[in-house]
Amino acid sequence: MEASSKFIARTALAGWLGELSARFRVWAPRREGRAVLYRPFDPQAPEDNLPELDKKPTESAKHIIFPRSEPLINFRRKRDPEHPGQFLLDLRVPEAPGPSLIFGLPPCDARGFMVFDPVYNGSGTDGQARDIYYLRRRAAALLIVRSCSRTLSTCFCNWVGGAPDSAEGADILASEAEDGFLLEPVSSEGAAALDSGLLVPADENRLKAAQAARDEAKKTLKPAPDISGAGKALLERFEDAAFWKGEAAHCLSCGICTFLCPTCYCFNVTDETAGANGVRLRSWDACMTPLFTLEASGHNPRQDKAARLKNRIGHKFSYYPELHEARFACVGCGRCIKSCPSGVDIRRIVTDSVGLTQSPKPKAAPRNIPGGKE
Amino acid sequence: MATQEELKKIILDVLPDVDCVIGWGPGPEPLCASPYFMRNPEDVDYLLAGPASVHNPALFLPEYKGRKTGVVVKGCDSRSVVQLISENLIRREDVVIIGFPCAGVVDASKIAAKLGPYGEPGETERAIFDKDALNLSLGGKELSIPLSEILADKCSRCKHPGAVISDYFAGEAADALQVKDDFTDLAGLESLPLEERFRFWEKEMSRCIRCYACRNACPLCVCRDHCVASSREPHWLAQANGVRDNLMFQVIHATHLAGRCTGCGECQRACPVHIPVLLLKRSLGRAVEQLFGHHAGLDPESRPPLLTFQMEETNIKEREW
Amino acid sequence: MSDVTREPAGTGRELRLVGFLCNWCSYGGADTAGVGRFIQPTDLRIVRLPCSGRVNPLFIAKTLLYGADGVLVSGCHPRDCHYAEGNFYARRRLEVFRHLLPTLGIDPRRFEYTWVSASEGQRWQQVVSKFTEQIHSLGPAPRLPGAPELEWMQSGVNPA
Repeated sequence: MEASSKFIARTALAGWLGELSARFRVWAPRREGRAVLYRPFDPQAPEDNLPELDKKPTESAKHIIFPRSEPLINFRRKRDPEHPGQFLLDLRVPEAPGPSLIFGLPPCDARGFMVFDPVYNGSGTDGQARDIYYLRRRAAALLIVRSCSRTLSTCFCNWVGGAPDSAEGADILASEAEDGFLLEPVSSEGAAALDSGLLVPADENRLKAAQAARDEAKKTLKPAPDISGAGKALLERFEDAAFWKGEAAHCLSCGICTFLCPTCYCFNVTDETAGANGVRLRSWDACMTPLFTLEASGHNPRQDKAARLKNRIGHKFSYYPELHEARFACVGCGRCIKSCPSGVDIRRIVTDSVGLTQSPKPKAAPRNIPGGKE
Repeated sequence: MATQEELKKIILDVLPDVDCVIGWGPGPEPLCASPYFMRNPEDVDYLLAGPASVHNPALFLPEYKGRKTGVVVKGCDSRSVVQLISENLIRREDVVIIGFPCAGVVDASKIAAKLGPYGEPGETERAIFDKDALNLSLGGKELSIPLSEILADKCSRCKHPGAVISDYFAGEAADALQVKDDFTDLAGLESLPLEERFRFWEKEMSRCIRCYACRNACPLCVCRDHCVASSREPHWLAQANGVRDNLMFQVIHATHLAGRCTGCGECQRACPVHIPVLLLKRSLGRAVEQLFGHHAGLDPESRPPLLTFQMEETNIKEREW
Repeated sequence: MSDVTREPAGTGRELRLVGFLCNWCSYGGADTAGVGRFIQPTDLRIVRLPCSGRVNPLFIAKTLLYGADGVLVSGCHPRDCHYAEGNFYARRRLEVFRHLLPTLGIDPRRFEYTWVSASEGQRWQQVVSKFTEQIHSLGPAPRLPGAPELEWMQSGVNPA
């Protein structure tokens, strides 16, 4: 592969993304105030919306392939001329979106789609339950992953099989090298996208510089504990209400962790209507909210935030891996920790459940204690 | 730190009589504390009451209604407790309120701005607050940032840094400060022409991911699982994440807090995409102050101004047609 | 309605005005104005409510943010409320809400509240004429984009 690796100078980046915009809808992280969000790259004003590659995006890239809300069917009610008083439905499936390209996503975001794939590609249903809306976007998306040149204290990709320079799920792996980026093709589609006059073949020095930067970044991650027993431990904790009440005591039951997560894939389907027109909409749902499990009768099997948090952690580290080849439904991006207004730490819940949490003194936080004396 | 040690002593005294004492403990990152629920004497060792104690522990009190609970409060937090009591959302006799002289809490956005050239707050390896400064190590460098430059805006207009109500107080209780709140935080926005303000919100709300952290972090949003925003009938908001619906939700939140909001700012602090949602509540707070001279969360006997009226209103000038 | 449309001075089109009227006074007042055949602009669409105290400020927010150019609330005169005190609560709520509009970037003149009794047909005519004129002087309200996902629903254009 190295033979076909290319190099692009930082100064040529906007031009290259502009070139790619002719074939793809290009998305890249962009700074908006203190937040870094994936936004469409505007080829008309490339210099004004250069990608933010130094800071980790606040949100994951999942909304580009799995939109926050997406019309499944547009419909219109019409009076049935044969049977007055009855209605006919005129249904339209929205057109398939064109190909998209995501530039500069961290490796954890690309690995997030690997968690989505089996779920939406009919896994466990003999390929029956395939989701065309997800799959057509996914198939038409090209991912240019940038390896991380540094990590945050909330990063823990090494706990769950990832690495700051993981190419898993990527089409091209970009690595910082001096005054630009080394671009290594990972897939054949990726190799095709590297066919541009703005790129030069990567020389030995830049290959070395990129490798050195990647090795440096890896060193900044703390060693990972062995959490292979988490699946079993979490199941054993399933009935341990006091444990979950303690872990969830400070949880706000909001949707930040779920909505920023690159692997949370749950959705809700609702009809939005105006007069005779309507849209059947698929929108992100969050298991941290009461509506996720509220039944039509009014009964809610997950009454409190402890039950909801238990589901989120259990799903990621126990139920999902059991169904999908032992892959954790967590890529260790740490956004749920970094953006949690209340300091809930998913790592801590996992290590607590396995009994691995280090002695609290002097640095680590003691476990939150349940409110009720039960 | 003397205050913190005194607080610990008080909490240890209180602990046998309550379910738990809610305060702050170490968080997942060096710069970040976390709400902390103390039940056993050994838990109290890890109490953190200082500039990193940003969270409002009053948020959790309605969950504990009917159970005796202790709560450690900054001045702003104590106003939320008062407001909850005045609306009968918690009972005075259920809470043991422990105050201390708060010297202000930090604003993570300001720290991030200060660290800008050196790295992200998340790269901080170690952080220690002393009396006047935040000392931290980041990327092998040692930095010291004066606290005065990173305190939250709400602290600069705070009249009651000590608790306005308390059963115990660590240290010397002080009189209310003579600080004038000129609503300067609204001045920037309101210096713009109306249409540009509207476009300001359009831009800000385009970032909203509708996670409802603003609502769930609000100590006075007590509907919790039964918020009108989630109602399908009436259908206030579409499921689609449009700018207009996002702003409509902020109007819902703000109007439901009119005359009740104490300005603790947790809604804004919780926002993962940094939308200045407190501005709308501040605007209504100013209106309530101008029209009714009311400040929420100071008097447990007071009635929220929108739950009462005067036959002849002093400050409402109705339009002559 | 359309055959009696009068074009307000200086414009060639109607604007979208919504009125929330109490059943006992202002709705009756509007009726009186109609029975008296007073000439009025026809931009205002009226929603009848049991009392001005029923007006949730969110009705006004929703109306203004989702397409109206102006909103008028009218109830019984203070001390004349059919339910004794509904309009006293309304007055506080509506006044406070009106103070939020400039912060949102909405001209506060787009929202007015007033009191018209059932016998005051003439006054109703005056209120509705002045309010309509006021909104026309402001012109159509700025709009926020709806969710792009719902475009088909809102445009009502049949996709090809």
